[in-house]
Amino acid sequence: MTMVATPPPPPLPTRQRTQIPSGGLSPMLSRLAAERATGVLMREGGLLHLADGQVVYAESPATPGLDALLIARGALDEDGWREAVAEAGTRHRVGRFLVDSGLISEGALELCHLGALYDAAYFVLGPSSAPARFRYGEAHWLGPVRPVPVAGVERETVRRRELLHRIWPDPATDEAPLLRTGHPVVTSVTPRQGEVLDRIDGVRTAADISRALGRPAFHTLVDVRRLAAAGAVTARPVPVPGPAPSPFPALGAAPGVGPGPVPQAPSPPHEAPRAAPTDLSSPFADPHITLLKRLRDALEAL
Amino acid sequence: MANTETALKEALASIEGATGAALVDYTTGMALGTMGGSKSFDLTVAAAGNTDVVRAKLRTMEHLGLKGQIEDILITLSDQYHLIRLLTGRGGNGLFLYLVLDAKRANLAMARHQLRKIEEDLEV
Repeated sequence: MTMVATPPPPPLPTRQRTQIPSGGLSPMLSRLAAERATGVLMREGGLLHLADGQVVYAESPATPGLDALLIARGALDEDGWREAVAEAGTRHRVGRFLVDSGLISEGALELCHLGALYDAAYFVLGPSSAPARFRYGEAHWLGPVRPVPVAGVERETVRRRELLHRIWPDPATDEAPLLRTGHPVVTSVTPRQGEVLDRIDGVRTAADISRALGRPAFHTLVDVRRLAAAGAVTARPVPVPGPAPSPFPALGAAPGVGPGPVPQAPSPPHEAPRAAPTDLSSPFADPHITLLKRLRDALEAL
Repeated sequence: MANTETALKEALASIEGATGAALVDYTTGMALGTMGGSKSFDLTVAAAGNTDVVRAKLRTMEHLGLKGQIEDILITLSDQYHLIRLLTGRGGNGLFLYLVLDAKRANLAMARHQLRKIEEDLEV
């Protein structure tokens, strides 16, 4: 008699597999490499600095820069870095200055530089719907350290996408605030992963944790996906209302930066998203659904 | 004060029987530099694959509660030696040197000793 109006259950989120384009990641970048351009390529995810068609530096708000990495590793202190930029920044010779003044060895600078370059390039070359722009003629202040061919950077970026996909095919944890599931972890957690795990508080994203630890952000994505595969970590299902407390609002405004659309279901309208801080209010809190999702993901990953 | 390229070159030149060398980041599996190798032996593929070896060993040590650090890992094939040396310097966190040796020509003890010296030269 009485019709019980039960709202249909929200559909389970569907995922899109990582898509690797057959050609280059950015046709514009390939063209710039072919014409041996010098300048800076501006994409949604950050900047790629070119000199003679080769990549000399990359920066992205998603990951700590070379200075932050050097300082975090104890290879350099902040004063040393500031002095080098003040002394040699206008001459575009900061890298040379650091080595010549004995603050860092050439090998250490090269390795940190390459690590930072490929790391930032991964985010700069992430899928993006916004048009890219290129400004000719701007040499980067770091100066030449170890230029890398565009093809090499693209190849490595694709390899990294595949690596993440192989570890755990769900990209949800790449950008969302992270939650600890509290499930007992069967596989052991390495000390490096432990440090990541310790900083997961339901608010921080992988990028925030990278900055806190002074690590390349891609390394944190790898650790987080491994932890997600082990069932220890999950993306916080309900988006944080209001602006995220990110020091980089530009990135926060660009939800399409990651390796695929974030497969978060929109929060169902009949639920108050902030009703409880735990994930019990979300449709994915049901352990059975979570288990089924993980099972499906694992089967798909085979 | 070597840069990565000279360090790898030196590894090939000074270590008897060395046919390839790579410097690898074992979180991402990326080779930050390679030297030598051949068409039939792709060092970047070897680099990526051997990160799993390093990670597996680190995990096992974690399971066993061993506190020591891995200095090097030796893999002996019938005709090759593969030597992995983890870098410990201040910038070298998470990197390893990977060396391929011809088993007929190589002197393992010397190779280990030279590799240690090259690591010090690299000063990372």
